[in-house]
Amino acid sequence: MTKLQAKNIVKTFDHNGNSVLVLDSINLNVEEGDFVCIVGPSGCGKSTFLNIIAGLEQPDSGEILLNGKPISTAGPDRTMVFQEGALFPWLKVIDNVEFGLKIAGIPKDERRLISQRYLDMMQLTKFADSYVYQLSTGMKQRIAIARALAMDPEILLMDEPFAALDSQTRDLLLVELQLIWERTKKTIIFVTHNISESVVLGNRVAVFKNRPSQIKKEITIDYRRPRLSEDENLQKYYHQIVQELKSEVKAQIKDEFQ
Amino acid sequence: MIQNIISKKNSFANLDDAANVVLSLAVFIGVWQLVFMLGIWPKIALPSPLIVAESFAKIILNHTLLQGVGVTLGRLLVGFAISFTLGMLIGFTMIRFKGFGKTLNSFSAGLLSFPSIAWVPFSILLIGFNDLGILFVVIMSSIFSIMISTYGSIRNIPPIYLDAARNMGAKGLSLFSHVTIPAAAPSLIVGIRQAWSFAWHAIIGAEILMSIVGLGHILSVGREFLDMGQVIASMITIFTIGLLADRLLLFKLEEKVRRKWGLDYHR
Ligand SMILES: Nc1ncnc2c1ncn2[C@@H]1O[C@H](COP(=O)(O)OP(=O)(O)OP(=O)(O)O)[C@@H](O)[C@H]1O
Ligand SMILES: [Mg+2]
Repeated sequence: MTKLQAKNIVKTFDHNGNSVLVLDSINLNVEEGDFVCIVGPSGCGKSTFLNIIAGLEQPDSGEILLNGKPISTAGPDRTMVFQEGALFPWLKVIDNVEFGLKIAGIPKDERRLISQRYLDMMQLTKFADSYVYQLSTGMKQRIAIARALAMDPEILLMDEPFAALDSQTRDLLLVELQLIWERTKKTIIFVTHNISESVVLGNRVAVFKNRPSQIKKEITIDYRRPRLSEDENLQKYYHQIVQELKSEVKAQIKDEFQ
Repeated sequence: MIQNIISKKNSFANLDDAANVVLSLAVFIGVWQLVFMLGIWPKIALPSPLIVAESFAKIILNHTLLQGVGVTLGRLLVGFAISFTLGMLIGFTMIRFKGFGKTLNSFSAGLLSFPSIAWVPFSILLIGFNDLGILFVVIMSSIFSIMISTYGSIRNIPPIYLDAARNMGAKGLSLFSHVTIPAAAPSLIVGIRQAWSFAWHAIIGAEILMSIVGLGHILSVGREFLDMGQVIASMITIFTIGLLADRLLLFKLEEKVRRKWGLDYHR
């Protein structure tokens, strides 16, 4: 069943008076339980696309269908791990993780159980009572992941969630996320600029073109799980995506230096 | 362990603070006594610390001081509570209706620097020479500061917090109470402190001109009877109350919020 459908999404931004076309008709179908990775040059509109799916940003034209119905507002059924983390500095770590649960009116005991589980998973139990400023960037990023997972959403939107992590922690979480996905059969859309991350995680990798963005190519990665980033058999997918991206990154750099 | 070190550091800081206060006070009183002994001003214009202490004793013993403090604080609290509640509500309305907010914001900015004393004649003619008239002056002097800071603090909330909250299902009242208010808190408190000090200026000024009780009135009686001792004694009381209210309540609150947010870790 098609879980999420992006139809002809177009988005322009006003940039000091000039209008800049960022997304130029994006089409993407995501099946229920699918794991889709999005890669593309910096500034091509990956975060913008996730924001539109989340309902935080409105497209100029086109629509997002969730279970066949157009979405209009933001909602807890599509939880986002923001690129900037976006934790609340006025709350303790544990209350950050429980935020969405509290809003949903889940009783405290139950919330504690859930938050404990995800804090454990992120190996941050010791920091449950800390405030956000007391954490490193990578720790913040893990809290943001715990917070999104705790919501148990239908669709998980992840915007470069592992970008700030050291490689050991990342490898650990790459496996962990695959296990979570296999266990819960969540639908995940995962943005990254790390190609090896995308081939480890994705059933499919959608390569975005340089601005104005379209999906240049979708590459299906049919390989057993859990995958490890050092697995030789993933190399061919890796190189295929590198090829697709090379010209785009060149175009992007040229763009920015003009 | 870390907690321990921090609390130790704090208690040293407190001791240091206390020592500094005592020292500064001693120096101040010493200089005052010295100037007094030089005899530049006649005794009636500049009494010695001891004479002021006697005046203090006098107004404490005949209960005028305590009664005055009670009346003044009562008026201040009522006035400030009204101005706080009303100011917040208007501030929220300004956020809700953008055009209205923008207009009222510029308008209030003009009134923010309007001297509180200048409200007195207006208030006497509009409301009368009574408690309500004084309340009116207090409210008008502090409400704009509350309005502007409510409006400004909410508008300056980084959008990412609101996005994250909406993404997790917060909206309407839950968004407001769980995100808008706490996210605005650090700068909101600064505005509230400012409003409090405006209200404090206003109540004393209004009492000097329009009251027959209260701290401001004791001050003005001192002037009428050429009793500089009483004037200085009431000034010291006003200073002390203002300082205590700010340090013990508002400043504490601000510090607490800042610590939570980690805003004290600027290097
Ligand atoms: N609020 C905004 N106003 C104006 N322009 C914007 C806004 N948000 C994004 N843009 C522009 O839209 C384009 C895409 O931004 P976006 O954040 O989606 O890129 P991205 O693909 O996520 O990049 P990165 O990999 O660096 O995170 C950029 O050119 C950016 O300048
Ligand atoms: Mg981005």
